[in-house]
Amino acid sequence: MRWSGIVSACCAALTLTPPSFASAPSALPPYTPAYEPTTVDERGMWMEADERERLLRDSPLRIREGGLERYVREVLCREVGDDRCKGVRVYVMEIPAFNASMMANGCMEVWSGLLLRARSEAELAAVLGHEFGHFELRHTLMGFKAKRSATDVMAWVDVLGGITNRDMSSANVSLVGSLYRFNRAQETEADLLGFKYMAASGYPAKAASEVWQQRMAEDDATALGRGLKPRRNYTSGFFDTHPTDLKRAEYLAKAAAALPADGDARVEQYRAAIAPYLSRMLAAQIKMNDFGGTDFILNSLASSGGWSGELLFARAELYRTRGNPRDLQMASLWYRDAKAAGYVAPELDRNLGLALLRNGQTEDARKSLGAYLVARPEAPDAKMIQALLAK
Amino acid sequence: MKTKRVATLIAVSVAANAAIAAHANSLVAPGAHTGIANSKLSANSQGEWNRLSRVDGKNVEVWTLDGDALNKVSFYGGIANGMPLLREPDKKRHPLPKVSGTMLMTDIPALLETTYRSLGIVNQMEIGEQSPAILGGRKAIRFTYTLTRAADQVRRKGEGIGTLVDGKLYLVTYEAPALHFFDKDIERYRQLAASLAL
Repeated sequence: MRWSGIVSACCAALTLTPPSFASAPSALPPYTPAYEPTTVDERGMWMEADERERLLRDSPLRIREGGLERYVREVLCREVGDDRCKGVRVYVMEIPAFNASMMANGCMEVWSGLLLRARSEAELAAVLGHEFGHFELRHTLMGFKAKRSATDVMAWVDVLGGITNRDMSSANVSLVGSLYRFNRAQETEADLLGFKYMAASGYPAKAASEVWQQRMAEDDATALGRGLKPRRNYTSGFFDTHPTDLKRAEYLAKAAAALPADGDARVEQYRAAIAPYLSRMLAAQIKMNDFGGTDFILNSLASSGGWSGELLFARAELYRTRGNPRDLQMASLWYRDAKAAGYVAPELDRNLGLALLRNGQTEDARKSLGAYLVARPEAPDAKMIQALLAK
Repeated sequence: MKTKRVATLIAVSVAANAAIAAHANSLVAPGAHTGIANSKLSANSQGEWNRLSRVDGKNVEVWTLDGDALNKVSFYGGIANGMPLLREPDKKRHPLPKVSGTMLMTDIPALLETTYRSLGIVNQMEIGEQSPAILGGRKAIRFTYTLTRAADQVRRKGEGIGTLVDGKLYLVTYEAPALHFFDKDIERYRQLAASLAL
């Protein structure tokens, strides 16, 4: 009876109030150059981060050539200020998904899928600033502590439940919920800190909310492309670690509205910096079997810079990959448009020829495949193309 | 009461062992093998191989010498029009590319690449040489490729041979780390590939 009362009191306390780890710093932490981890937890976390960074540094996925990492770091420095970004290392990885992250030791990882989707330096800076916000608020450490506290308490609640023969599942469910709520609160905190950097950087503040609007629109396009209803969540679920894109877009747009609308998003500079890598990023995206999402990205890129030969070629590739007769027809048109727009790689003739051949337009296909073989007689697939022509 | 519990535990243990035995990896003895990957694909192996019990798809079978991370031969046996090469983890939300009856020979390596990329198994993959070949007496494509698996980031090389018969895809691939293993076992794979029949 006595134990039962204690357990009931514990449960009530745990259920009604989230654990105290959910408290957050109210002001920016002071900037400390060459910060060293201070506690056991923090030192352990840094050790793991250092190891992970060594793997990133030596990874074959890293895009080392052409100074792309240097450029991304410059954008971060413009966003958060030279002082704060001095110690940061940036690694750009060839992974075609929208993501960036920053570890406790100041190592930032940016995926190529984010660079493909951002339409300006300002949009890229908004995401980098958000990740930097996590770093500066030491969220990795706090998240680790929160998880440990919650799981410790859950283990003890189970022990107490066993001793007193009571069902403790509702208390544990409440603890799990508080942990996920804590993650969402951290994300919002990082968003708003990132927004403060944005406002001070000279980039237009509205870019932060536009990033999330674009994400929602792309998700909808992906769903529609797969014959599904758009899955737009308006409220965060129990297990969501992040606020919904809609909620983010809303509070960031609200914050941006309170500021002057000017600022330079540096669209042209961004486009020029990404141009050498664009073909590679588009080719990887096209092979993700996400017709709707990829078409959305292409349209989005074209809406700001027009349909270049490169984008038309990519669109033709997307349609040829799906391969319905109507797709092959459109692909053939766009290959020709791409050529007219100045896309001169011989692979265009090959792929146009393959689209025509698959669509039964044999004579036209022969001309295109023949042109490819003339231009690239030593191509690694030349023998196979010749065999297709010989049929 | 206690005796009953022990008896139950023993029964469960025996059943579990039987289940493990039924699904264990198995030795592939030298000689002729038919019905590979639940299809009319057959081969004549000179040395011993191991067949993994893991099922990557309805018509997929994996053979290896030292473990599939070190040398892996995948047989795709008659994947029908509209079916994916590998099992789809989420058919609705993350479907895989499908075999199409109108595919060209050059679309076979492309399908392998888009399947791997869609699954997130690789983020870097490049198709190399493509040349005409014969598989089971039919016109086929032989191709080489390189890839980096996302899980271990080890650079691998691959070689494959594939053909389409009545709209169904037959494909056999060999993958191994570029460092040491690919060259070590490539001849054993090529012997196996040369013995394939449909």
